[in-house]
Amino acid sequence: MRRNIWLYRRCLGAQLRATLEYEGDFWIMSVAALLTQGMGIVFLWAIFRTIPQINGWRFWDVVLIYSLVALTEGIAVLLAQGAWSMAVTVNLGGLDTVLVRPFSPLLQVLSSQIGMNGLGNLALGGSLFVAALRHAGTSWTPARIATAALVLACAPLVKIGLNVLTNCSAFWLKTPWSMFPFAFHTLGELARYPISIYGVVVRVILSVVLPYAFMSYFPATAVLSLGSAPWLGLLTPVAAAWCLVLGRWAFRRGLLRYESAGN
Amino acid sequence: MARIEADDLRKVFRRPDKGPGLAGSLRHLVDRRYTEKAAVDGISLRVEAGEAVAYVGPNGAGKSTTVKLLTGILVPTSGEVRVNGIVPHRHRIENARNIGVVFGQRTSLWWDLPVRDSLELLRDMHGLGAAEYRTNLDRLVEMLGIGDILSSTARRLSLGQRMRADLAAALLHDPPIVYLDEPTIGLDIEVKDRLRAFLRQVVADGTTLLLTTHDLGDIEDVCSRLVIIDRGRIVHDGGLRQVIETYARERVMHADLATRPASLAGIATRLAGATVTEERDGLALAVAFDPLAHTAGDVLTAIQSEVDVVDLRIEEPAIEDVVRRMYAGQLATGPDAPPAS
Repeated sequence: MRRNIWLYRRCLGAQLRATLEYEGDFWIMSVAALLTQGMGIVFLWAIFRTIPQINGWRFWDVVLIYSLVALTEGIAVLLAQGAWSMAVTVNLGGLDTVLVRPFSPLLQVLSSQIGMNGLGNLALGGSLFVAALRHAGTSWTPARIATAALVLACAPLVKIGLNVLTNCSAFWLKTPWSMFPFAFHTLGELARYPISIYGVVVRVILSVVLPYAFMSYFPATAVLSLGSAPWLGLLTPVAAAWCLVLGRWAFRRGLLRYESAGN
Repeated sequence: MARIEADDLRKVFRRPDKGPGLAGSLRHLVDRRYTEKAAVDGISLRVEAGEAVAYVGPNGAGKSTTVKLLTGILVPTSGEVRVNGIVPHRHRIENARNIGVVFGQRTSLWWDLPVRDSLELLRDMHGLGAAEYRTNLDRLVEMLGIGDILSSTARRLSLGQRMRADLAAALLHDPPIVYLDEPTIGLDIEVKDRLRAFLRQVVADGTTLLLTTHDLGDIEDVCSRLVIIDRGRIVHDGGLRQVIETYARERVMHADLATRPASLAGIATRLAGATVTEERDGLALAVAFDPLAHTAGDVLTAIQSEVDVVDLRIEEPAIEDVVRRMYAGQLATGPDAPPAS
């Protein structure tokens, strides 16, 4: 375990060094991340100007959910962006070299990219998080701080696990494009808003089948003690473990049918 | 125990069976048909410690697929495989510690990192100690002559440099078993010679080597055993000299001429059994001969006594020719047999 973490850091560090070869990319991607997330906030603000409450959620509550999305996305992009390279790695045969190195293939794939634009997400998400908590007028008890720390640590793992799971479709779909997993990523965007506004089917999908809501909505309810069942947010670690297990399972199944490329 | 043991290894790929063109592709959407093709169809192989095996065959014969099965990259459809006693696709990480792999077409180096950084990452993955790493690296740097490229990123290397850096990466942990898939493809003669000398040394040190190649020179220089595979099956497994002497005897000497000769008949009569053909509109000629019947010196003398030679080169048969001839049944088995063409 310690060896794996150390090697993971080594690989990411190497990617960081490689990425710094392209400094321009870093700035462009960071600006893009800020713009994308920022536009969402503008959209929210526009809505809440006319409708002050949605299903009992006020503007700053929703901003908190939003900030959690930016934070978890930021961490997932920064630390495990390699999941999105699977369509290319698997279908153009790049996995071959990964499989003959003595380090977990899945961890090698995950650490094979470092998304510096994650820093943009983290900066924005962090500021929104602080601002939202201030406006929500939350009192900071030790229990609340512990809750926030726990859910913040586990929420990114939910996203990473789901990224692995959906990107493992690369083993079944023979294209080097990530269209299919990206469709699920877009579905996950629904979890930027309080999921109580959706119908039951969407709610079940987002909280049980592909629990994207555990990267933002449920953690936010736990931190703010809002909604009908804020304790659900404390299940974030369980959801994270479940998503990671699913991701690893899919990857292993995928390796069994990996066909490499060319001859 | 043999280092590499494969028993009745099969790998079947399923390919969509599409008609031609867009219509065929659309039709496949509703009428899904597949054909199964066995890329490797019942291969059994034993390779001992210190053995150097050339694994050859025409394009699409299943060479790379075999290597991918032996390295654990692919999971076999059926059959057994053990490398150093380990089933590679079940215990990939343990297996990876015992093997070194180079795919000629693809680098295992990190594309945007200096070669040295790639090697250090591999050092850490293999858990090599500082002293062991230093010793191995120094040896590889010297033997492969890569001291000056360690600080270049992989993307800036020429093909020959990249191949040598890749070999260093594959052999850094001093693995007992090494697989090389087309290691000399696209390299110039000088680099090839250097690589072959290096490989001979590696084999002499007791490493088991399995080499797929199209280049007869690789095989002659490095390997003592030749396995020929075609359509997923082994068609020959045995000594190398015997095959070359039986199936790949013919050499072709090409000579560029100063002036157009009136006739080539004179050369032909001096060299019994050889075929003389005109090339480049009469300004060059080719003599196909059997080295057991005539030495290259004899052939050159015969040509020079008739015409003025400007330049010449000798072409050795490619392994594809050998395999093609084995199948076509045009095997020249004695000095009197007509040269195959």
